[in-house]
Amino acid sequence: MLTRHIKPMALQARRLYVEVMFQVMGQALQAISEMDREVQAEARALPNGFIFEMMVMPNGPNMIIEHLGAGALRFHAGKPPRPVNLSIQFKHIAHAFLVLSFQEKTSVAFANDRMLVNGDISHAVRMTRILNRLEVFILPKLVAGRAVKEYPDNLKLPTKLISAARIYLKVASQFFDRVRATT
Amino acid sequence: MNNDYYEFFCPVKVIAGKAALEHIPYEVRGLAAKRPMIITDKGVRGAGLLEPIISACEESDLEIVAIYDDVPPDSSTAVVRDIVGVYRQEKCDSIIAVGGGSAIDTAKAVNILASEGGDDIRAYVGAGVIKKALKPFFVVPTTAGTGSEVTSVAVIADHEKSVKLPFSSSFLLPNAAIIDPRMTLTLPPHVTAATAMDAMTHAVEAFTCMGKNPLSDAYATSAITKISASLRIVMKDPKNADARLELAQASTMAGIAFSNSMVGLVHALGHATGSICHLPHGLCMNLFLPYVLEYNLESIREPLGELLLYLEGPDAFAATPLSRRPEASISAIRRLRDDLYKHCKLPRTIKETGKIKEHELEKIATNALDDGSIMFNRREVSLEDARAVLKRAWA
Repeated sequence: MLTRHIKPMALQARRLYVEVMFQVMGQALQAISEMDREVQAEARALPNGFIFEMMVMPNGPNMIIEHLGAGALRFHAGKPPRPVNLSIQFKHIAHAFLVLSFQEKTSVAFANDRMLVNGDISHAVRMTRILNRLEVFILPKLVAGRAVKEYPDNLKLPTKLISAARIYLKVASQFFDRVRATT
Repeated sequence: MNNDYYEFFCPVKVIAGKAALEHIPYEVRGLAAKRPMIITDKGVRGAGLLEPIISACEESDLEIVAIYDDVPPDSSTAVVRDIVGVYRQEKCDSIIAVGGGSAIDTAKAVNILASEGGDDIRAYVGAGVIKKALKPFFVVPTTAGTGSEVTSVAVIADHEKSVKLPFSSSFLLPNAAIIDPRMTLTLPPHVTAATAMDAMTHAVEAFTCMGKNPLSDAYATSAITKISASLRIVMKDPKNADARLELAQASTMAGIAFSNSMVGLVHALGHATGSICHLPHGLCMNLFLPYVLEYNLESIREPLGELLLYLEGPDAFAATPLSRRPEASISAIRRLRDDLYKHCKLPRTIKETGKIKEHELEKIATNALDDGSIMFNRREVSLEDARAVLKRAWA
């Protein structure tokens, strides 16, 4: 009896977690693109106005990112402003949860066919590198090591802590701006 | 080191061996087709490779109603449009591709338009666009390397926009691949060596990269055994039909392996080099294979050590201490490359190609980082890493 109620709650919690993680990652991507030169250099190769989407098939949670130009990224909550140029689609919410809870690396998820890519593969490779860069900054080393193929040797703790603090601060400020705009 | 989850898919009927071509009429009719079209290139036709196919069909009262023999090495959207025009004009109902990678990829694209309609192949670019089965499609490979007869992708150049368009769908797979030793008997030594090393690289990368799985491993190791045993024999005795068949089968097996587990940095560098310097793909694979294995060494010691058994046989495997097997595998590949160089001057270093300038290495490294294959390489490759591998491969 109890398990019949707990299971749907667990599935709902998983969906909610994926939704929240997409929101946090989207805002963090915007933040890191405002301060990290490596991310800016990677993003600069994308066309201006390029729209990237990461979503769960068929109509699950999603994250929309736009390249504004000069390496700056903007997170869009909800629907994309224009047709999407590159879409990375998880086949199921369970697969998105594995990746977003850092139980499976993004590269392993690709190798395991958990995701489909619609669009230019070279842009998908580039966006994956940007996501990896974000993860090594905002996650503790132990967790980041599970999320990316290799944790960069040259990233020192003080740099990581300062960068992470700045990213989280920007994410918080973007969050409050959005809340204020909607009330 | 295998993944805890994997997918494996290969619905292609493989018809291999002596008198395999004579099975074509039966296979065509088995899918209710009566009016096949052959798509090939001038080299294949000039070498007389169509004769046994046409003769086999005529003897079984199956008429080949059209032959398009002008597929260029770098096929384009315009070529696809021209061929589909002939297909419709002659009211064909099936396709037989005879050739290497370009002819096979072109035929896959033609099959899309012939089945789905339209004249612009660009409308079908990408993955998952095609939703239903296409017209009956058969492939007769004339090189032993690309494995295109068992892969679900095709790449066609769009010369107007100077880009290569990828098409990916399981519906692109042929209904049958016909592997007959007569098709590769006249392959020149240089092409034989380069395409065999392409197949070898497919198998080695399938076995050592991130998407490896038990089923693709079985195909990859079998392909490596066959190439290791037969390539030197074919180089000495090009008319040896048995050894030729072994190479052709190895190519198909390596194709099945890598299309289910993907490839890595050798292919990323090879694709970039091929597109910038216009070198044959197999040659590029031969250039980079040992250098990339050395770069990846610490992350692939276990599978690479295991490969020694298939590269050198059980005696050499047993005589080599466990800790030395990965390095011994690389040495075995180097020795094979040295032998090929002696036989037909297949370049082992970038400098030996004489076609790549040192200043082009930077662009090759940059482009390789954006290649999809790099995603499945065990190590995270930085620009500095790619530069370092190229530097080692230079001379």
